[in-house]
Amino acid sequence: MNVLDFLKGKKEEETVPTVFRISGWRAYAIQALMIVLAFVYLIPFYWMILKSFRNTIFAGFPVDLNPFSRTSLSYFISNFNTVWNFSFSAFPLWYFNSVFIAVCVVAGSVVVGAMAGYAFARLRFRGREALFIVVLATLMIPFPVITIAEYVFMVDIHWVNTYQSLILPQMASAVNVFLFRQFFLTIPSEVEEAAKIDGLRPMSIFLRISAPLAKPAFAASAILTFIGSWNNFIWPLFDVQTINMYTLPLALNFFKGANGTQIYWNQMMMATLISLIPTFVIYIIFERYFVTGLSAVSGIKG
Amino acid sequence: MNGRNGAVVKTSRMESTAAYLMIAPLFVLLILFTFFPVFYSFYISLFHYDPFDHIVYFVGLSNYHIVITNGLFLYSLLNVGYYTLIVVTAQTFLAMLLAILFNTKLPVSRPARAIVYLPAISSPVALSIIFIWVFSPQGLINSLLAFLHMPHGINFLYSVKYAFYAIMALNIFSTAPYFMLIYLAALQSIPLPVLEAASIDGVRSFWHKFRYIYFPMLRFSTILVVILGIIGSMQLFDQVYVMTQGGPGNATLVPLMYVYDYAFLSTGTLGLAAAASFILFAIILVITVLQRNFFRELTWS
Repeated sequence: MNVLDFLKGKKEEETVPTVFRISGWRAYAIQALMIVLAFVYLIPFYWMILKSFRNTIFAGFPVDLNPFSRTSLSYFISNFNTVWNFSFSAFPLWYFNSVFIAVCVVAGSVVVGAMAGYAFARLRFRGREALFIVVLATLMIPFPVITIAEYVFMVDIHWVNTYQSLILPQMASAVNVFLFRQFFLTIPSEVEEAAKIDGLRPMSIFLRISAPLAKPAFAASAILTFIGSWNNFIWPLFDVQTINMYTLPLALNFFKGANGTQIYWNQMMMATLISLIPTFVIYIIFERYFVTGLSAVSGIKG
Repeated sequence: MNGRNGAVVKTSRMESTAAYLMIAPLFVLLILFTFFPVFYSFYISLFHYDPFDHIVYFVGLSNYHIVITNGLFLYSLLNVGYYTLIVVTAQTFLAMLLAILFNTKLPVSRPARAIVYLPAISSPVALSIIFIWVFSPQGLINSLLAFLHMPHGINFLYSVKYAFYAIMALNIFSTAPYFMLIYLAALQSIPLPVLEAASIDGVRSFWHKFRYIYFPMLRFSTILVVILGIIGSMQLFDQVYVMTQGGPGNATLVPLMYVYDYAFLSTGTLGLAAAASFILFAIILVITVLQRNFFRELTWS
């Protein structure tokens, strides 16, 4: 199954992907292996949840593996309150910062990406191929290695430690442009041609006809961009100077060092859990779009 | 299509104007926040730079001279090279194995795959914090060692011997599922006729199918996974920053940690940090280009 089938919302059954056909005892053995693997991958997250239901500061392996009992629920609530009201109730503000920045980055990046993707896919203009190669070339420039220059630039224009400095550099995404371009190339162009003959301008065709058809592409790029912004650490670390501008990854790191070398694991894990919840909720709802976006990225370089 | 010649010219001019307007925001952002910083980082690297005190003077290539001769940066490059070698090898193999395992249509396949993919979407900082516990003296690994009656109570992240391996383990664990998806997409797009033809030719056992069909067909995905893996590994930062800060000693010092230290933990050394990050950028670029040629020749011969 390829990217475009995912984008078009096809179900796996329709495209008949080549999967290994296994039956009999082998099927049971393989399933057992998969369960073991899934279990191994769950342990860190399970421990995080378990620890947020505990009151101990002891970092040891918990003997009681059932997180849900009446007393542990009260620990859970008190851990939540401690974390949420930490440092004069800064946590809600950090949460807001993360959400606000991610939402702005997603909105901007999706609009910019969809417009450019449409132009590269559908409109004829001089230098189209060359400009598209320029866009793809930005994939060869890893953000972390230009972070220092980005930071000095922000200091120069007095933008350091502001929302716009956290939002704008994350907004131009070659991946999103590529994803939209691929999508627009696959939808039939007859309706657009008809609209063109009727005298509709390219921008109106994009807004009224093409963009509404591109909902799967919007969803895939929005989700990937959101996760990227939510998890971003190095840019806020360089850019943010005051505690009130912290995003959640910075807050977690700050929280870790708040009591010196002593880590209160129950509170630490509660904070980690709270910061992971939005990602997990989005993942559970939109799991198949993660595959889409990733295939699109791999399509560029493959 | 549009009748008179004049109408065609008018339409195409309108179309290209619209196109330029539609790509304009993208290019403004790319020029300001991607292309300009590349040149700017080279520019800064030629100066003694202290943006807050406005002490800026030209020093030529002396920052590069300092970075290359003081040994620490080279040490961090060697560190990250060693890290890349181990992590990319291990995660590529693990990703391939996971993909083969999950490329089945059994009741457990899909939910298990969704769970295994969890670390790939979780924030590196959150994962690092959870794994500080995994590697702590009373954490998961030590509990397992105790259970197996082996020497335990090791403080992995504070040990010069083990700290870097602990970070490697975390990243192999969390990055392999990400690359698993690339392999899965490749496996699932192998055309059915190829498989049918192969089974007529007598390639029936799973091992033979893997050796003669799947493995060769995964070659391009492997190139991709290796290149992306190397680029990602060379930029290792988040996990080191959260888990060890480059320590103990300089056991886990990596280039971006070096850049961070010189940018923020000492004053007046921003130019030095920029020089270091520009060298890292050049190395990543050269590796990317070289690898493409290397693999291209390999696949042609």
